[in-house]
Amino acid sequence: MAAAVAAIVATYGYFLLFAEFAFLELAKPLFGGELALRPLLAVLGAGGVIGSLLAAQGFTLRRFRGALAGGFVGCALGAALALGAGQTGLWLAGAVVGLSLGWTTVVLSSGLRATVGGRRLGLCCGLGTGLAYAACNIPLVFAAPPQVQTVIALVLAAGGALAAGLMQPGALVAANEPDHTPRGWFSWGVIFLALVWLDSAGFYILQHTPELREQTWSGGWTLFGNAFTHLLGALLAGWALDARRLGVTALLAVVFLVGADLLLRAGGTFAGARVCYTLGVSAYSVALVYYPAFGARPWVAAGLFAVAGWAGSALGIGMVQDLHVIPLSFSGLAGAVVGAALLVRRRRLHRATPVVLIFLTALWFSPRAARADEALVAQGREVYVAEGCINCHSQFLRPGVTQEILWWGPARALAESLAENPPLLGLRRQGPDLTNVGNRRTPEWQRLHLIAPGSVSPGSRMPGYAHLFAPGDERGDALVAYLASLGAGTLPARLELAAAWTPTGAALQANFDETKTRGLFVQLCASCHGPTGRGDGPLAAKLTVKPPDFALKEWRHLRADEPAPLVAAARIIKFGLPGSAMAGHEYLDDETVVALARQVTALHR
Amino acid sequence: MARHALGWLVAANMIGLLLAALLLWPGWNEPLAPLTYGRWLPLHLDWQLYGWCALPLVGALLAWCLDLRHPHAVTHARVALAAWSLALALGGLAWLAGVTSGKLFLEWHGWARPLLPAAMGLLWTLLAAHAWWRRDELGRGGRTGRILALLALLVVPGALYLSAGREFYPSVNPDSGGATGARLLASTLGIVAIYGFLAEVLGLGRPARRGWYWGYFVFSAAVCAGIEHGHASHHEPAQVLGLATLLGWLPLAWFYFRGGPGVPAARRWWGAAFVWWSALVGSGLWTFLPGVSERMKFTNGMVGHAHLAMAGLVTSANLAVLIELRALNGRRGFWLWQVACAVHVAVLLGLGWHEAGHEADLFFSAPWTQAVYGVRLLAGAAMLVASVWWWRDAAREGTAP
Repeated sequence: MAAAVAAIVATYGYFLLFAEFAFLELAKPLFGGELALRPLLAVLGAGGVIGSLLAAQGFTLRRFRGALAGGFVGCALGAALALGAGQTGLWLAGAVVGLSLGWTTVVLSSGLRATVGGRRLGLCCGLGTGLAYAACNIPLVFAAPPQVQTVIALVLAAGGALAAGLMQPGALVAANEPDHTPRGWFSWGVIFLALVWLDSAGFYILQHTPELREQTWSGGWTLFGNAFTHLLGALLAGWALDARRLGVTALLAVVFLVGADLLLRAGGTFAGARVCYTLGVSAYSVALVYYPAFGARPWVAAGLFAVAGWAGSALGIGMVQDLHVIPLSFSGLAGAVVGAALLVRRRRLHRATPVVLIFLTALWFSPRAARADEALVAQGREVYVAEGCINCHSQFLRPGVTQEILWWGPARALAESLAENPPLLGLRRQGPDLTNVGNRRTPEWQRLHLIAPGSVSPGSRMPGYAHLFAPGDERGDALVAYLASLGAGTLPARLELAAAWTPTGAALQANFDETKTRGLFVQLCASCHGPTGRGDGPLAAKLTVKPPDFALKEWRHLRADEPAPLVAAARIIKFGLPGSAMAGHEYLDDETVVALARQVTALHR
Repeated sequence: MARHALGWLVAANMIGLLLAALLLWPGWNEPLAPLTYGRWLPLHLDWQLYGWCALPLVGALLAWCLDLRHPHAVTHARVALAAWSLALALGGLAWLAGVTSGKLFLEWHGWARPLLPAAMGLLWTLLAAHAWWRRDELGRGGRTGRILALLALLVVPGALYLSAGREFYPSVNPDSGGATGARLLASTLGIVAIYGFLAEVLGLGRPARRGWYWGYFVFSAAVCAGIEHGHASHHEPAQVLGLATLLGWLPLAWFYFRGGPGVPAARRWWGAAFVWWSALVGSGLWTFLPGVSERMKFTNGMVGHAHLAMAGLVTSANLAVLIELRALNGRRGFWLWQVACAVHVAVLLGLGWHEAGHEADLFFSAPWTQAVYGVRLLAGAAMLVASVWWWRDAAREGTAP
């Protein structure tokens, strides 16, 4: 079993460290950027599919060890070719790596059960996969230059060849356990396709969103935490698989992956989302190794790796490269597909219904900005520059001016601002500072505001930019993505600022001029909330989450146990509800904010 | 030259008027889209700076260097000015098309980035060629002065090209996000040097007092070199004290220029320039002071301060230069411009001072802010009228190239 575990570690480690990372990092400078790598990725993927099919065609148990060792040697050769190669060498290396890796994965999975038996196959897969993930997350390995990572991958492949020689395959036992027979390979193909698709898209977003990338993979403790979570998740998955819970494992994997996505969108703590994502990836990765290994059918393994593995990855990456986000509808749909494929059987349709409903319900909620990738954000920054937004909006908060820190804070380090090309500090404020506008305004709000500023902020001096959102014009979406990226990592600090604020005593004791305040409510709030607070303003129909009807039910954001409901209402009016279209009115003075709070709280009584 | 310079003043003022109107009535952006407010602003800033502010100085340089014995001297000057104006026009098209560096007053970017440096290079070549051709008629001092000036000017095109790059950004006051005291001092000393040079070229100023002028300049430059040039705060006493040395230029400029030779019609313009200069130095130092900076930075007050410099000081001095060069008589428009400019600057400074704590009024177009912007629009219209008068006068009466 040790040799089998070592072979899995070598295969998965090589894939994670080299094929997915170091190889592309080596190629980037030679190909002139990430998008230029697409043809090379196509060669890699095509090589993987062809290698898988060739392995299925030529697989026999008798030649298992030699075939596996040959695959590892090919992997080592591919890594060696990539080291110090020019563009031509990288094309060749890509083809060799793809062919060898495709070959190795199919050969290994087809002969694994014959080597370790069916009883501890899950543990073997879990241990091998978990160790591979953990090793790649060790800071020394993770942060190593791509050349060093390539050498490590080369060593892993050599070790895999050695392990292949030590494996002792016995006789195969036909796979007829219950977790396999109710569903055919087609269902599992769909399930794994959805999982790989979702994971690849999520992984690409993590890689290409600086804030998320930093929170996911920076710092020794974070990486060690990832390593531990991966290993734990993989071992638990292996244990579940040995208990013949393949379906449950796949279901949990999709729940964790979709859960991570929803947590991010809902503005929850990133640590929670990271743990969910890591557990989900570990669980389905082990299942992906286990399922074809348990069946020990080379053509199923080849089909699964070709379609779910290579095609799923390409679809996931392609989707976010083109759409720049993971659409919420896709997350929901992926969850619904996996749930339905696992649970829909004859006479068991009712068991699928709740799962499908949960995921479909998620489609109705869009509480937070979808993450955009670097390319879209960079394009949006160019739009910001081209349209001259800097002429009216600053992106600099003076650390010593407490008022503007309260309004638009927290302050950003000057060095960070100056590191950008060009720095967009600005000189003049005809409108608010935008340093952290990503945590103060949702993309939905930004879109409505950019199209018709006066309809969202009556009296605004800002020009409308509806033309940027014309069909076929990407500039509007890019600008929204850029604005959403500004200060996106500062939400906790922002919430702290808001929580620490209370109106002045004078403002709380000031006389309430209802007529004047009603006019102010109509000016500032009626576009969404309606003139009488019924939630029927002209913009309400355009909002994903509709404004509440103050007149009919208690204001849902006002906690009954809040000791000072007026202050709570005032806080929402001043700072908004992060993650919702309810924007703050930071620049209103305390007296005005309290008067509006009185007006609003009076409406729902 | 006067037609070019005043033509750019008219064009930049027209755009300034459009911008003032768009702030007052933002709905006007809709029919203009995609050429909305932010696309027009670089034209106003850069045409003022590189068109109106620069070209009279170019005219002075041409007058100083051109060898009028050369049969094509006037043609050469026209070619240089046409190239300059072409660069500005193409730059305007680039900014309207959204091709901009995103750096105020240095918007030259993409295909437009080399345009003005190229025009400057052409001008420098012509200046150098003519200075060489007339070397025999120049005395030793004249030759040395031209060699030194041309050497100094040689770096300007490259400096402009490099500084327009997005990767280049000067030091920043970490507490205000704006210029440091050292930067403000250096840029103001640049203006002092230009006017000192103009005095030499046009024969202004009192020669007996020249030593005081350049002596204090050397002292100021030494102060500037001695204070922190990194990201220094306005809370650092050295930055404030360094900037405060500019106050010495108020009596000194008066002492040097007053009573010097020159065209009588230019005197009131020089006088007005001195008044604006005093206001500029005083308000510049005042708005840099801790406490005041916190209140005025990012407000209309700083816009007023910029207009004080460009529309007040530079325009008055440039009109005087045009009159000295016999390119304009400058008989009309003096009071119209001066009063309108004073109103313009005063309402913006006042709005800036009051803006702090009343941002919501500004953001949501409260009636009183609309009224202030309305007054500013009227003042801008009056300034446009004055500039159109001058441009027509220059077209009719000007004799210099």
